Amino acid sequence: MAQCAQSVQEFVQDSFVPTVAVLCSADAERVTRRNNLSFPELLRPFCRLTSEGHLRDPNNLVVVVKGLRISVTGVNTQPLQPGEVRKLLSQAVSGCQPPEGLPANVVTAGDYDLNISATTPWFEAYRENFLQSMPASDHEFLNHYLACMLVVSSREAAPTEQFQRLSQEQHRVQHSGEYTHPKWFIPNTLKYYVLLHDISDGDEQRADSVYEDMKQRYGTQCCYLLKINSRAAAAGPAEQMPDPWSQYLQKSRAQSPVSPAVLSDALSESHPLELDQTSNLGYPGNPSVAVNSIDTSRKQGGLPASSTPVAHGACLTLNDHDRIRQFIQEFTFRGLLPHIEKNIRQLNDQLVSRKGLSRSLFSATKKWFGGGKVPEKSIAELKNTAGLLYPPEAPELQIRKMADLCFLVQHYELAYSCYHTAKKDFLSDQAMLYAAGALEMAAMSAFLQSGAPRPYPAHYMETAIQTYRDVCKNMVLAERCALFSAEVLKSQVKYSEAAALLIKMTSEDSDLRSALLLEQAAHCFINMRSPMVRKFAFHMILSGHRFSKAGQKRHALRCYCQAMQVYKGKGWTLAEDHINFTIGRQSFTLRQPENAIAAFRHILINDSKQVATQQSAFLREYLYVYKSVSQSSSDVTLPQLPLPCLHSAQTRVFFGHERRLAEGEKQAATHVWLDQEYDGEQAQLWAELEEQVVGVANKGSVPIGFQPTQYCLSCHTDNLRYPLAVVEEPIIVEVVFRNPLKVPLALAELSLLWKFTPKDFSRPPGGVPGEALSNEKEVTALNDIISTEVIPEFTIGPEETKVARLQLLPHKTGELQVLSVLYSLGTVEEDNGTTSRPTFVRGRQDLEIQGPRLNTTKEEKTSVRHGPDHRLDPVITPPMPLLEVFFINFPTGLLCGEIRKAWVEFVNVSAVPLTGLRVASTHPEFFTFGCAASDLTPVTPTASEHCSAYKTMATPPSVAATMLVSPAMFGVSGDDRPTVAEIPLVGGGLGPGEALQIPLWLRGPDREGVHEINFLFYYESVEKNANHRVLRHKAFICASRSLSVRATACHSNTLPRRGGAEEEGGSSMLVFVDVENINTSEAGVREFHIVQVSSSSRQWRLHTCINPTGDRDSRLASRERGKLCFRATRCRTQEGETHARKYTFADLNLGNEQIVSSTTPCADFFFRRGSPSEAQKGGVSVGGANHTRRQSLTPAGGADDGVTGVVQKCSEVELNIIVLWKAYVVEDNKQLILEGQLHVALQTVGKEACSVPQKEEAQEMVLLKFKPDQPPPVSRPTLEQLSRLIKTCLHYPESYDHPFPQKSLCMVPVTLTLSNCSLAQVDVIIDLRHKTTSPESLEVHGTFTWLGQTQYKLQLRPHEVQRLVLKACFFQAGVYNLGTPRVFAKMAQAGTMCETSQQSSMPALIVINSV
Amino acid sequence: MSVITADLRNYPLYIRSVPTQNELKFHYTVHTSLDVVEEKVSAVGKALPDQRELYLGLLYPTEDYKVYGYVTNSKVKFVIVVDSSNTSLRDNEIRSMFRKLHSSFTDVMCNPFYNPGDTIQSKSFDSIVSAMMVQSS
Repeated sequence: MAQCAQSVQEFVQDSFVPTVAVLCSADAERVTRRNNLSFPELLRPFCRLTSEGHLRDPNNLVVVVKGLRISVTGVNTQPLQPGEVRKLLSQAVSGCQPPEGLPANVVTAGDYDLNISATTPWFEAYRENFLQSMPASDHEFLNHYLACMLVVSSREAAPTEQFQRLSQEQHRVQHSGEYTHPKWFIPNTLKYYVLLHDISDGDEQRADSVYEDMKQRYGTQCCYLLKINSRAAAAGPAEQMPDPWSQYLQKSRAQSPVSPAVLSDALSESHPLELDQTSNLGYPGNPSVAVNSIDTSRKQGGLPASSTPVAHGACLTLNDHDRIRQFIQEFTFRGLLPHIEKNIRQLNDQLVSRKGLSRSLFSATKKWFGGGKVPEKSIAELKNTAGLLYPPEAPELQIRKMADLCFLVQHYELAYSCYHTAKKDFLSDQAMLYAAGALEMAAMSAFLQSGAPRPYPAHYMETAIQTYRDVCKNMVLAERCALFSAEVLKSQVKYSEAAALLIKMTSEDSDLRSALLLEQAAHCFINMRSPMVRKFAFHMILSGHRFSKAGQKRHALRCYCQAMQVYKGKGWTLAEDHINFTIGRQSFTLRQPENAIAAFRHILINDSKQVATQQSAFLREYLYVYKSVSQSSSDVTLPQLPLPCLHSAQTRVFFGHERRLAEGEKQAATHVWLDQEYDGEQAQLWAELEEQVVGVANKGSVPIGFQPTQYCLSCHTDNLRYPLAVVEEPIIVEVVFRNPLKVPLALAELSLLWKFTPKDFSRPPGGVPGEALSNEKEVTALNDIISTEVIPEFTIGPEETKVARLQLLPHKTGELQVLSVLYSLGTVEEDNGTTSRPTFVRGRQDLEIQGPRLNTTKEEKTSVRHGPDHRLDPVITPPMPLLEVFFINFPTGLLCGEIRKAWVEFVNVSAVPLTGLRVASTHPEFFTFGCAASDLTPVTPTASEHCSAYKTMATPPSVAATMLVSPAMFGVSGDDRPTVAEIPLVGGGLGPGEALQIPLWLRGPDREGVHEINFLFYYESVEKNANHRVLRHKAFICASRSLSVRATACHSNTLPRRGGAEEEGGSSMLVFVDVENINTSEAGVREFHIVQVSSSSRQWRLHTCINPTGDRDSRLASRERGKLCFRATRCRTQEGETHARKYTFADLNLGNEQIVSSTTPCADFFFRRGSPSEAQKGGVSVGGANHTRRQSLTPAGGADDGVTGVVQKCSEVELNIIVLWKAYVVEDNKQLILEGQLHVALQTVGKEACSVPQKEEAQEMVLLKFKPDQPPPVSRPTLEQLSRLIKTCLHYPESYDHPFPQKSLCMVPVTLTLSNCSLAQVDVIIDLRHKTTSPESLEVHGTFTWLGQTQYKLQLRPHEVQRLVLKACFFQAGVYNLGTPRVFAKMAQAGTMCETSQQSSMPALIVINSV
Repeated sequence: MSVITADLRNYPLYIRSVPTQNELKFHYTVHTSLDVVEEKVSAVGKALPDQRELYLGLLYPTEDYKVYGYVTNSKVKFVIVVDSSNTSLRDNEIRSMFRKLHSSFTDVMCNPFYNPGDTIQSKSFDSIVSAMMVQSS
């Protein structure tokens, strides 16, 4: 319970005071009326006695009366009707609001810190008014009139008669029985005669004389001459007098308007429950006839006073105040207290005299009559719900009367014993109402006894309350009792009991009382030793609820707000929502719309667990409140809306036009668009491509400040820089909305709010920037500067996340800032036939994007800091060229190696010329624009549909035609693959609006599967300092298997015999090409034809086809395999160093058409094919290592390596085979001919090479190596390799006729040709003596002998061919093997190495015939 | 009938009630009962710190409901609210219900993926509570 201004003792004493009636003559009334006061009102401020009074109790003990207060009221004061009482109370409560701005005290309980108003003045006001308005009842006498003042003015013609009249009047009122209302304590009421003298007006002598007369007549103790009005009212308010009346009158005058605000509150609180309560509750109303004429005059006089709150006591000086005070004192001490004392004695005497007899008599009769009532009592008794009613003279009531008198004069001991006795009597009589009253007062007097001889009997109170409430059905008395009891319990720190008591008193019949009591109970909970915070909050809510039912909106709001402190943020969402909702409602009705909006906002923002209907109710309420607020306020800035949730961080910004889709055959470049998901790897890939192309465009060096162009900014991109947007090109902002509710939301007129600072970039920097503009006031007002797109309608379903794309089109250069999203929020109309338009409210939500968290320096690591994010602050730059790229006849599926011709169209859609068009790709081997040298006959795409992509010539199959081509012509330099290609533009650029179509050849990738091919088109403005721009395209090609080509090269043992060939030194090779049709799809591919096989190499060329003539059929049906054999020779132009970089293309056509392989596109793709070995290797490091090793092998550089290199070189070929094929495909009953080419690179003799890359086991698990790789051991040439240094060949006649009979010795000349295959000098030893020792050779019967020198030593220069003429000698006819000479070879430089036996040639058989 | 679990800091971990239409009232009731729980715990804690009875018994009766409480050693509170007209539930039944609830709650806590302080979304816990509710009604 809240703290009160008074202590409990004071409070109880002040609640029970002796009451005095006043009966005034009309003249006297007039005198006081000059001060705007009636006589009782005049006395009221002085009713508390400052000095102690004394009286003697029946036992002659002196009782000290301290701080006594008396209550003076007009005799005809009407008890208020219950309805009026209610009104009075509710006015009192609503008129007493918590002081604003006062620091509330903070209660800390557990983890709660609560701001709670410590005092509850409205409760005290209520209590005071309630107690004052208590009607006098029959069972107790505390507020019955003890005395009556008869007031007569001294100006009266006959004051004595007037007194007489008044005295009679009083007597009539008390004893005639006509009036139920003013209740009198004792039959012989004390009459006190007061002569009122107006000093400024009356005759003082006369007054004195009348007073003398009075004294004689009524005795000095009962008369008083009161002189007031020392000054005339006209004196004016020059002298400021204290106005002690104001505080009393404010409270006492129920009808007077207290303050306009309160009045309006009071008027609105006509609660429906109160209407039916106007009927009386046992207080029969006074007859409407006025008691006397005084009454009417008072009323007449009272009206103006009440209507105009004027200064009271204008005619009174301080002396007058003192006089009044003295009068009261005199009255009390000389009149009232002796009167009371006398009465107590009388009553005591009566009781004592009766006690002995009646007690025993009563009890005896009761026993005898079995508990029946005493007959004399039962005559008068009236049964009511509370038991019986005693007649006023009943002896039980005399005890009670005495007790009340004692209580009033603060003689609590005696009062207690009397009450106790009375209680016993009443209980034995079953007079419950009386008993309860006695119990209540007994408890009170026990509490008030100083020194506390006995503990406070709390159970008395409980019984009393229960009896009042349940038996007597008298809530008013019960409430009074509870109020006292709670106060007493509070003072004894029994908060929980007090709370329980108060909570018990809440009921349905009075909301105001329930509310106040619940609030007090809540305060009790929080004041407990261990504060019960949650109980406090709960009862506060209950109290707030009752307050709102009672129409006390302010108090209700306050209660809810205090409870909110407990529930806030603790996870009790339902309760929190309920409180917030109520706070919102109450705030709105109290015209605090800001608070209302804040409260409603809170419900909507949090993830609400409410059901959909509840949510929609919340939403409607919010919209309604919001709308009424926005209509009333003239604020320019639109307020923030809570719904739907805006995910600022996911906002994406796109610069550029919306992507145009394919137009007919034309297929636009995919570029970048908001629909594409962000992919980090892809972004990285594009950035690398762009870096490459920029590097190429800037002649090999990437500028330092290079940043990849970003068209679509999101949370993944680097947003540290201000993005660039181009004038007249749209900026699309994609915002993400989420609807957290279970009801759909409708947004209307969605648009962006921006701020724009115009700036002219063509002028030198440092100019004054223009004034910032904004479209805040009118969305489309500044459409000439920046067009703002408005989405008229946008609906978000329940719990849906949806994106909205909003477009801005800048028309001027400058700096733009996108600030927030503007929209109207409304509910979605239910289709239930109502035509009412849903309410829409206008508002905004700011786009606040936080940059990524910084984490570089130590400071940033320890604190949470975020970097800037300039996604939404683009700089609008002057116009830039804008390229659009279309692909025509671009296929989606290709066979591996298939060549297709497509067209590409470049359109410059801007007003600025563009130049420097380049393209970079991840798959440069996939496409070519043709080489610059080839004649670009711009045939239209349709015309070239059925033509071959190749350039052909009609030639019959014959010896290969050769052509020398430098790779530089095809834009290839060195070994690296050209990822960037310049696109040949006519005139070097594209003017505004110009379009250009150029052919594009595509070759299906070598591996089957789906390939993702990225094109990055780069272009720049003709102006120097302008930035470049890029356009992206991503194509998907599905490659299916076509042919597999395997090729092997072998040394040919035979040396060319024909003239031309011999000059070349005998370098020739056999090339076997296996072609297999591995196409698996039945989709139309019928057969493949090998059209031509071409070679391309710097050293070798295909020479002739040496297939058997019958086997020339080059068709391959499904899964067929064909074999082609070719002879290759070394190129003639070997020695010239300048030609070394040039490639020799040799074409061997199998049909009647020769495809010129040295031109576009065949050669293009050949040069773009990339190194197969590199392509096959997975990791970069592996490939790199491989590359270096290869490099170390090829040149004959180092001394040690030289040997190996030279030896290796011997078996190395560098021959690339290009197999050109045609495929016959049936598609849609139409035969198509597809063309293609496959490349095979032969590197080593005897090693098979394949066109289809072998599927390697994916090296997913590469062991981590912590030690550097062991350097590969110095590769010594293997024996096998060394044995191939020298090629030997024996020339001899196959059969030789010799007449053995004539000549027994047959001599046959044999030529041994030695050919050095290596590039080094070789020492050769030929040993003829060597016999075959193998067992097989033993079986050869015939032997022969070499004649002449048996050992030769030769030195062969690189590629030198030497012949040795040998002679063999035979003794008889037969077949001989001449292949016995052993050849040993040794590198000339490598002295340490021993000679190696060279591979012997095949058995050389000679037939010697004898003729 | 309603079952509520609140953790050390009195945040609700789990709330379940049938019938659902008057859920707000349950919330308020249970929230208020936590005060009584705290009071009881502190009172008992002083007397016998080591052998504390986890079951707190009837916290307080209202007009329509009876509120029972239970506190684990780690100060996690269980509150069961039953209709006061339901006479079939004696103290012993309530006690066993709390035991069951406690063991099930322990299982939830043992789940390594459960983040202490989150609302309980375990299906097994849910089913045990449902079974209890069906049984008691």
